[in-house]
Amino acid sequence: MATTALHPAAPAYRSSLYDWVTTTDHKKIGILYVINSFVFFFIGGLLAMGVRLELAQPGLQFVADQTYNEIFTMHATFMIFLFVIPMLAGFGNYIVPLQIGAPDMAFPRINALSFWMLPLAGILLLLSFVTGGSAAAGWTSYSPLAQDRPLGAVGPGQDLWVVALVLIGTSSILGAVNFLVTMFKMRAPGMTLFRMPIMTWTVLVTSVLVLLATPVITSALIMLFIDRNYGGSFFDPANGGDAILYQNIFWFYSHPAVYVMVLPAMGMISEILPVFSRKPLFGYRAFVFATAAIGALGFSVWAHHMFTTGAVYLPFFSFVTFLIAIPTGVKMFNWIFTLWGGKLTLSTPLLFALGFLSMFLIGGINGAVSASVPVDFAIHDTYWVVAHLHYVLFGGSVFGIMGGLYYWFPKMTGRMMSESLGKVQFVLMFVGFNLTFFPMHQLGLAGMPRRIADYSSASGWNDLNLLATIGGFTIAASMLPLLWNVFVSLRSGEPAGDDPWEGNTLEWATSSPPPPYNFDHLPPIRSERPVFDQRHGDVPHTKTPPGPDRTQQIPAGR
Amino acid sequence: MTTDTTALTTEHSPVAGLAHDARGGISNPVLGMLLFITSEVMFFAGLFAAYFNVRANAAQWPPINPESGEAFHIAIFPLVGPATVLLILSSFTCQFAVWAIRRNDRTAFLRNIAVTFGIGVVFLIMQGIDYAELGREGLTLSSGTYGTTYFTLTGFHGAHVFAGVIMLGVVLYRGMAGQFSARHHDAVEAASLYWHFVDVVWILLFSLLYLLPGNAPRV
Amino acid sequence: MARSPRTGRSPSARFGIRALVVGLILVVAVGAAIAVGVDVALTGQSFVSSFFPPVAVTDQGERIRDLYGIVFFIAVAIFFLVEGLIIWTVVRYKRRPGDDELPVQTHGNMIAETVWTVVPTIIVAFLFIISWQTLNVVDTVSATPETRIRAVAGQFQWSFDYLANDGKTVLYQQFLPTGEDGGMTVPTGRTIKLDLTSLDVIHAFYVPQFLFKRDVVPGRTNSFEFNVKDSDAGQTFRGQCAELCGAGHRIMLFEVHALTPADYDAWLQARIAEKAAAPTPAPSGAPAPSGEPAASGQPAASGQPATGAGPTLIVSAINVAFEQTALTGPANTPFKIEFDNKDASVPHNVAIHEGSPTGPELFKGEVFPGVAKKTYDVPALPAGAYAFVCTVHPNMTGTLTVN
Repeated sequence: MATTALHPAAPAYRSSLYDWVTTTDHKKIGILYVINSFVFFFIGGLLAMGVRLELAQPGLQFVADQTYNEIFTMHATFMIFLFVIPMLAGFGNYIVPLQIGAPDMAFPRINALSFWMLPLAGILLLLSFVTGGSAAAGWTSYSPLAQDRPLGAVGPGQDLWVVALVLIGTSSILGAVNFLVTMFKMRAPGMTLFRMPIMTWTVLVTSVLVLLATPVITSALIMLFIDRNYGGSFFDPANGGDAILYQNIFWFYSHPAVYVMVLPAMGMISEILPVFSRKPLFGYRAFVFATAAIGALGFSVWAHHMFTTGAVYLPFFSFVTFLIAIPTGVKMFNWIFTLWGGKLTLSTPLLFALGFLSMFLIGGINGAVSASVPVDFAIHDTYWVVAHLHYVLFGGSVFGIMGGLYYWFPKMTGRMMSESLGKVQFVLMFVGFNLTFFPMHQLGLAGMPRRIADYSSASGWNDLNLLATIGGFTIAASMLPLLWNVFVSLRSGEPAGDDPWEGNTLEWATSSPPPPYNFDHLPPIRSERPVFDQRHGDVPHTKTPPGPDRTQQIPAGR
Repeated sequence: MTTDTTALTTEHSPVAGLAHDARGGISNPVLGMLLFITSEVMFFAGLFAAYFNVRANAAQWPPINPESGEAFHIAIFPLVGPATVLLILSSFTCQFAVWAIRRNDRTAFLRNIAVTFGIGVVFLIMQGIDYAELGREGLTLSSGTYGTTYFTLTGFHGAHVFAGVIMLGVVLYRGMAGQFSARHHDAVEAASLYWHFVDVVWILLFSLLYLLPGNAPRV
Repeated sequence: MARSPRTGRSPSARFGIRALVVGLILVVAVGAAIAVGVDVALTGQSFVSSFFPPVAVTDQGERIRDLYGIVFFIAVAIFFLVEGLIIWTVVRYKRRPGDDELPVQTHGNMIAETVWTVVPTIIVAFLFIISWQTLNVVDTVSATPETRIRAVAGQFQWSFDYLANDGKTVLYQQFLPTGEDGGMTVPTGRTIKLDLTSLDVIHAFYVPQFLFKRDVVPGRTNSFEFNVKDSDAGQTFRGQCAELCGAGHRIMLFEVHALTPADYDAWLQARIAEKAAAPTPAPSGAPAPSGEPAASGQPAASGQPATGAGPTLIVSAINVAFEQTALTGPANTPFKIEFDNKDASVPHNVAIHEGSPTGPELFKGEVFPGVAKKTYDVPALPAGAYAFVCTVHPNMTGTLTVN
């Protein structure tokens, strides 16, 4: 058992502000990512409350039309680019080097650079509100609406938006390079690729997606910037450009981006489910291949966002979109059969993981419905799509993130979070989430389009919108026990010790929090569950017992 | 195991003493640069995709300049053609520099890196002069699809050349300060990979923009 | 030493908290049920049919709805199966307190994994094939459609051009997107080809009861065909723009009126005849054809130059907004409104409503696209408060005080 002289609550971890600002330690940087992401989660959430407040009743009560367009544009922008993607990168930053037994990431200074670009980009986006209006063409920013010419075109705000997103994209790409080199080159002796924890695998595939896809949206944004500011002719038909070209380039990134947003969260729950069922992940290899398949297929489906443009070869994109359901289903069954036959402890991390399973199931199913092109003709650009995207991103990613938070908070801080507050948060969040987004299926089917500031009461959409707003307030309420829990636990939570959950992977083989260099001593690595093996070496396994000791002889180099 | 935990930073950890390629294979910085170059390839892919789309949908390429009534025209001589030759040459000198430092020949390494750096600077200057000339002839970023794609593609290539020149400058500086040896020169390898990438992109660009024939006007 | 996961509270506190949590769920659930129940009662829709798109009024829409039925049924079945499995597993395999023995460490099972790869593949293949078959029926465009119409989308209105058989000549232009005398009128039973063009940004033509939408993209002309069912003659269907197009996105509504083929032919002939009889709109700057001297050189402020029998009010519109917010008119005297539409290609008019913009309509000027001027002859109004509105863009309003 690895122990160090470091006591969890010791002043050694009460680093100064200067330490935090100049750190290159992946653990501190990971925590910075998490904190920054939560700040923007709350800002994005406030914007969402603005949307729900306005839509609760027919009639424009609170904001003007253009302001409403700004609100939902920035809601999505903050949530996608400054909350989900960096939050998962932050958890990856903290956890991956620990899980592979490395002392840090491959490029610690670039790691710090990647982080600090994010608050800068966030400030630029916040500034855009006071420069005559933020971006207001949707987070998708289609041309020609996003150009400088159309009626009501936004000024500097849209350009700040472009610059901020290019900054964030660069941060992501540098992060991806860092993760990939770390995972390929810095694994501890004995950790072959197929002994890496699943969380690490999902971060690996995610990093490949980020590396290959993000630069493409950078190019689209830059071309948009040139159109807007230098008289360019890429996307404006009035200038000889092609509006559909923008959509193709944009979605070529933005579809893989949704897997960037969900795969690490899937990795997180794939760590939680085995630990709280006391069994290994069912079908580890299949899971790895399914993740890789989703990543690869994810590059082929982009035009399913463009079925109604009349400019897309429909059968191909429909086919590959349906195909993606197969590896996703494989994963779903892997998760369920991890639970099956296990001995489940319903702690907060497991509750959030179970919430993920149920909600992502719905999100996957309503997405598959949209894959049918004629059906998509009816439901595209309606509230059905809003339901789908929130079921996968909130029901999926956010629930996964919450599970990961409760699971790894003890490792990061040395303190346990309160289980009761966690369960209250879970119930409020689960109920609130479904109240908000389930009615949107019906609203979309009934014909309510997206991105409208108001609707007529003659349409019959009043009650479901009011219900969704009530749900929204419930979600907001669920943030209170979360915040309370975090602050109270930081100060006086129960000391966690090295391994409060009987974990499987290497992060539980060191103190909580770990020392700056992570490990004093690594257990032998002979399977994907080295800490489990050390604890229960003599347990019978079916199908895949721990493998041979592949520890290479490292020349004495100290 | 020391009990003074504050001294156990990454540099002093038990694994820090390992040489770079303890398990063989490429070093971290070189792998990192290769991956970064992959992302840069994808960035140019987006720009190229736009270019191909624009060009395929155009009635005529190069299109007619509305101000002059004639088709746009970009010339290989006197600037762009020679600049291309120089850039290709610089890839050779860059590789010579890498081979030199691998066999610990610091003099040859420095000489070749300096020449590569110099050619990079000259390329940028020639590009700048060419832009000014084109501007005088009436071809700018806002000259319809032709001008937009031309300046965007070559402009971002130029920006990457600029970054490469800075990288080479840093390598030259560090080389002159004696920081590189046969055993320890990851930065040189990484910078040379980037420089080759910049050159390959230019060869592609040059071929597409200057060598690939346009189509006759469609009636 | 490894410890098992624990909550760290006393049993009674745990009970109390659980009771609180359960109570909370009950309260919220009951509240939701009441809300849904109220919803059900008020709108008259049964819960199940709320999960279906509207009943289709076109042949193509009906095919889509049938397809949706199959897809939805499979979706629901899969949901209940898998969710049921999750819930059952959680209930069945909950750890009994004190049981620290490890369960069997199953790593995988080749048969199970093969089954749950192959079966979804079959289901997905089936869904793809039936979707593709429906798509081929729904998305065809024939060589000789019986009726050709063009929908023109702009910021922020729809207008409709009724085309001759060559697909180019415009027989009649409808500028009002909604209302009895507006909207897109179509014959039932016939194959209608609709061309979609945009004046500015991307819009989308969406009629929920068609179960269909198609983007309207500047720089290209999208088209699709539809046949309204004979049984739906005489009905009106609502439509709305479904692609964010700016601040006025939510007001881009339109209506589709279905008539029997005979009624449609008669209607179209009547409209063509009307248009032939009416004078063409005056180009910008020319005197109004009514013969009354038009005011000239007036600033675009609320004012009434006294020229002739009744005063002429100046109204102008640009960027989908009136430039005047308040006008004053004479009581009990007919007067004129000289309306300058400065919005290129965008139809506007000036209409007068009693009291507020949504009050009864007392006068409606002819709708015409800019850039052009028209002079309206407004009948005498008693003193009082009125509103002037653009019939095409209901958010364009101002006040008219008559005294």
